[in-house]
Amino acid sequence: MSESSAAGAPRSLRIDRISGAVFVAIALLVAWENRAYPLGTLSEPGPGYMPLGLAVALGVFGLIVALRGNASPLFDTISWTESRRAVVVLIGCGVAAFALEPAGYRLTMIALLVFMLGVVERKRPLVTLLVAFGFAFISYFVFATLLNVQLPRGPWGL
Amino acid sequence: MEGVLGNLLLGFSVALTPSILAYAFVGCVIGTLVGMLPGLGPLAGISLLLPATFGLNPIIAIVLLAGVYYGAMYGGSTTSILMRIPGEAASVMTCIDGYAMTQRGRGGPALAIAAIGSFAAGTLSVIALMFLAPTLASFALRFGPPEYTALLVMGLLVLSYMSGGSMVKTLTMAVAGLLFGMIGIDAMSGYTRFSYGVIELSDGIGIVPVAVGLFGLSEILLTAGQPTPPPVQKPALRQLVPSRDELRMSVGPIVRGSVLGFLIGIIPGSAHIISSFVSYGIERRMSAHPERFGNGAIEGVAGPESANNAAATGAFVPMLALGIPTGPVTAVMLAAIMVHGILPGPMLIVEQPELFWGFVASMYVGNVVLLILNLPLVGVFVNLLRIPYSYLYPAILCFCILGVYSVASSVVDVWIMLGMGGLGYVLRKFGYDLAPIALGLVLAPMLELSVRQSLAMSGGSFGIFFERPIAVTMFVVAGMLILFALKPLVFKSKDWRAEVGLDEQG
Repeated sequence: MSESSAAGAPRSLRIDRISGAVFVAIALLVAWENRAYPLGTLSEPGPGYMPLGLAVALGVFGLIVALRGNASPLFDTISWTESRRAVVVLIGCGVAAFALEPAGYRLTMIALLVFMLGVVERKRPLVTLLVAFGFAFISYFVFATLLNVQLPRGPWGL
Repeated sequence: MEGVLGNLLLGFSVALTPSILAYAFVGCVIGTLVGMLPGLGPLAGISLLLPATFGLNPIIAIVLLAGVYYGAMYGGSTTSILMRIPGEAASVMTCIDGYAMTQRGRGGPALAIAAIGSFAAGTLSVIALMFLAPTLASFALRFGPPEYTALLVMGLLVLSYMSGGSMVKTLTMAVAGLLFGMIGIDAMSGYTRFSYGVIELSDGIGIVPVAVGLFGLSEILLTAGQPTPPPVQKPALRQLVPSRDELRMSVGPIVRGSVLGFLIGIIPGSAHIISSFVSYGIERRMSAHPERFGNGAIEGVAGPESANNAAATGAFVPMLALGIPTGPVTAVMLAAIMVHGILPGPMLIVEQPELFWGFVASMYVGNVVLLILNLPLVGVFVNLLRIPYSYLYPAILCFCILGVYSVASSVVDVWIMLGMGGLGYVLRKFGYDLAPIALGLVLAPMLELSVRQSLAMSGGSFGIFFERPIAVTMFVVAGMLILFALKPLVFKSKDWRAEVGLDEQG
């Protein structure tokens, strides 16, 4: 039997071993980046003192998690069935974040909801448009007009 | 005693003003809705409403947010009992016996006992809060930087010990949260750390984008695409009345759940979640017929529901008395107070008596509002659950973006939320608890400041942490927790968390 799964991860890999190793790597990265800040002395700790201490702690805990990882589930046992949709949702929200200030709150929310309901969830166009416009304008009215929350306006004051 | 009653009268004179009553009511309604909707727990609900409180006076702001918090605790039970869907994590245990009761046609009494238990626990714990918070605040005036360091370290260790799953993994998350808290300007030296030229990061990472990302968005990423929930049962008002036997069997669990929940609520962590797990375990253990648990035991609803509501109130004790949040929810509420220029801490009760006692009194009012809301109007609220999830989650996403952006009118905050959402999604897949990240982020500046001040005071000697009695006591408690955590490893015995079923949540 092959030692590698379809995704390329070896079958014997366990989730705690992987996550522990990632935390050790992050700890090393933080410690490396922390060189830019003075450590100070024990009686006068500098801005780099605490981040270095925390990076060391993260590395130690990550190492313990990885070393004690034989009893954790195999990586292959994690179900990623919803991951595709999760990525699409994140990308949709990312585009909305880009558009929020130039296009304004209402146009952005209309576009995001049309994408989520019409494209991702494949709802009927009329329902999609009604929900998208209704949500964008009602939520703007409640938050911006009634509650005075500052929300960006786009072209034509929308 | 007379002083407390006088202060409470002052509180009621504030809480019973029409505007505060109205906001308490609005908070409870929003909280109930938020608690019922999967994907929006109390934390996401409070975070989203935070920007709307900026224009309000601080008392109204905290009353509104507190209403959302304990409203969500109440609301979560409805979906758990009627549909086996925990609206928020603390209701997971209620699902087991609550839904079994619904299947046996006793969903109405289960809802009634959950509401009565929540009301009793909420009221009992507000009384305890009223007496304990001022005492703790006056005691905390003796605290210097070493005591605060010890308190924060102990808090993080208690959180790690109490949370479900591995203590090391929880500590890893807490340290990751503390590291996130290092981003931004160092208050003592003025250095800007880890901001990589992004001006918005100079102020550090805010709790709201992190909380909404970790808890709201990651939940949506995990659940988007799930099938539409099954049809909802709507019990009529007369079906809500519990039998005499059910009432009798619920009294003990409600009292025990209230005491236990309040005590667990005071210590840091996801107290309301933990308390419901522990309460369920204890009730199962104390029962003469433990085999009834899982098949519709009323004690399995009464205990956890009382415990999670009592814990929600208990969490306000350190927040109000010490200015230290015990979890992400209280952290966001502290942020709401600080926006108004009020510094939480031991002096808050002395300097802002209207705020403290008005808040305490509003909690009594809120409990009554929720009892009225939850029982007769349960049929109205469950209609919300008829909306298919495929329509709900895109709307929740939009609310997440709206809420996060409007805190500081910053798109960078939206990016942080998206990053945290992705991170939370992956970490949950790998079995990590996310609450310590949010708590670590909030505690990081306090911990760093107190450690550095302590070392400056002692001329660089760590001995200062072991010379002062209060600090030593706290470190001893922290050390004992580590030893308790090591015990099952050394003696191969079962951990207490496994015994009460807490490890099932991870």
